[in-house]
Amino acid sequence: MPDTAISLQALTKFFPPTRAGWRAFLQPFEKPTLPALIDISFELRDGESIALLGANGAGKSTLLRILATLLLPTSGYATIAGHDAVSSPRAVRRSLGYHAGSDQGFYARLTARENLLFFGRLNHLSAATARDRVSQFAGQFELAGSLDRQVRTLSSGTIQRLSLARALLHSPSILLLDEPTRSLDAIAAASFRHFLKSHVMQPGKTSLLFASHSLAEIELLANRVAVLQHGRLIALDTPAALKRQSSASTLEEAFFCLTGHAHNSPAPEAHS
Amino acid sequence: MTAFFRELWLFFRRDLYIAKSYRSPFIMEIVQALFGTATFYYVARFVESPALRQTLPQSGGYFAFSLIGFVFLDYLNAALDTFDRSLEEARDSGTLEHLLVTQTSLPAILAGSALYPFAATTLRIAVYIAWGALFFGFPLDSANWPAVVLVLLVSLLAFSGLGILSASYLLLFKRGNPAKWLLLGVSSIAGGMLFPVSILPDWLQFFARLNPVTYALNAMRAALLGSVRLRDVLHPLAILLLFAAILLPLGMLTFAAALRRTKSTGTLAHR
Repeated sequence: MPDTAISLQALTKFFPPTRAGWRAFLQPFEKPTLPALIDISFELRDGESIALLGANGAGKSTLLRILATLLLPTSGYATIAGHDAVSSPRAVRRSLGYHAGSDQGFYARLTARENLLFFGRLNHLSAATARDRVSQFAGQFELAGSLDRQVRTLSSGTIQRLSLARALLHSPSILLLDEPTRSLDAIAAASFRHFLKSHVMQPGKTSLLFASHSLAEIELLANRVAVLQHGRLIALDTPAALKRQSSASTLEEAFFCLTGHAHNSPAPEAHS
Repeated sequence: MTAFFRELWLFFRRDLYIAKSYRSPFIMEIVQALFGTATFYYVARFVESPALRQTLPQSGGYFAFSLIGFVFLDYLNAALDTFDRSLEEARDSGTLEHLLVTQTSLPAILAGSALYPFAATTLRIAVYIAWGALFFGFPLDSANWPAVVLVLLVSLLAFSGLGILSASYLLLFKRGNPAKWLLLGVSSIAGGMLFPVSILPDWLQFFARLNPVTYALNAMRAALLGSVRLRDVLHPLAILLLFAAILLPLGMLTFAAALRRTKSTGTLAHR
């Protein structure tokens, strides 16, 4: 295992413009001209946690999806656990846990347990290990009462917790979380952050790259914060250093200052 | 290889559990098969004549001929539909991306997702034939069962390539199934489904010879009705294997290229 969990070098992503009408037929062959990420370079060290902070459309999810091997970069390199995301996607996926931050992605007619076991086994856990982990996470994620219910009967927040459990089930060394507490109520969100901090990150084995609009979450979980604006990395430092650089007393103020918005202007969507 | 088959089993079990959660459609399908079989029986009685019997390649009359044609086309339909329906369901439910971030290979995801639908279609074919044999005199005494199983398996391989090609189209263009439209359309005329290919004009017989369905149907009718030995169906089986050898790798390569393209355009989860 290298010292660097994730290494990005000049990572750039352009999307093709969206077409409507008969031209939609040519969509798959359109040239990518819309920039989503431009020349992103940074490293996530082993056991480190970096938060991606930026307004909607800043490129946070695009970056996470490239690392999860769901998107191909237009140029540049992304190396995860020593493997190139483009040329060795299966090797990359061995080290990754990915949570897309939505309450989708489960088989609605299967129970929560059947879903978790299915995805755990597809990640090459043995049947016994998968069963043990499911029981363990059921306790930690307060899923015990929901495990044997069909997913279609579960609340959005419960499915969100289920999705987080799925991302962690095969003990990945790198976690990619896209707005992990988006659908959780305040208590569940706090409980989840505490779980991440104490159970996932404390042993120092798991590296975390997560996108969030919650500045409280970022301050609690992130060692460093990567601020993205219009697809560009405009700052990367510890929360304390970012505040110092922008002479701000809070991370929120620092974010507004770095992105060039007055503190009271409504433009960015980050909120505490 | 063991991991590959274990993954296939996981997908099969997933689909079995999902199917078990809906009970009534299965029972309705069994009843529907009875109505379908009865329809073919009475149409056959209506059109049956000594002249018609002479044009048929095997014994059993027009009822057996047309029933096999119909149920086998159902098999083709399933092969063409299964891959893109699984893909569409996975995309719409959001599970596609989560499957693609697991350590499971793309061939295992594709083959695994098709396994249960194929098994269910095979069962449906068996139900049609069973109704035919129980109530309408479908002759089973001349069937060569090992040959029947072999023909089903090899046909499945040949048709799967077409199904994967069709799924590639869906991945890129989000709607439509041109392989199904073309092949089912051609096969209903030049595949020998409801009438023998021998009655077609020469130019249509040429298309029939290019169609894997023609060989699959010939082999299946021979295996079920023709009192043949296994080696007598080896010729159509060899041609079907040739189709499979071309279409399966072509389908997999096309699907991988389509997946790469959608990962590049960012449209993997788009509907």
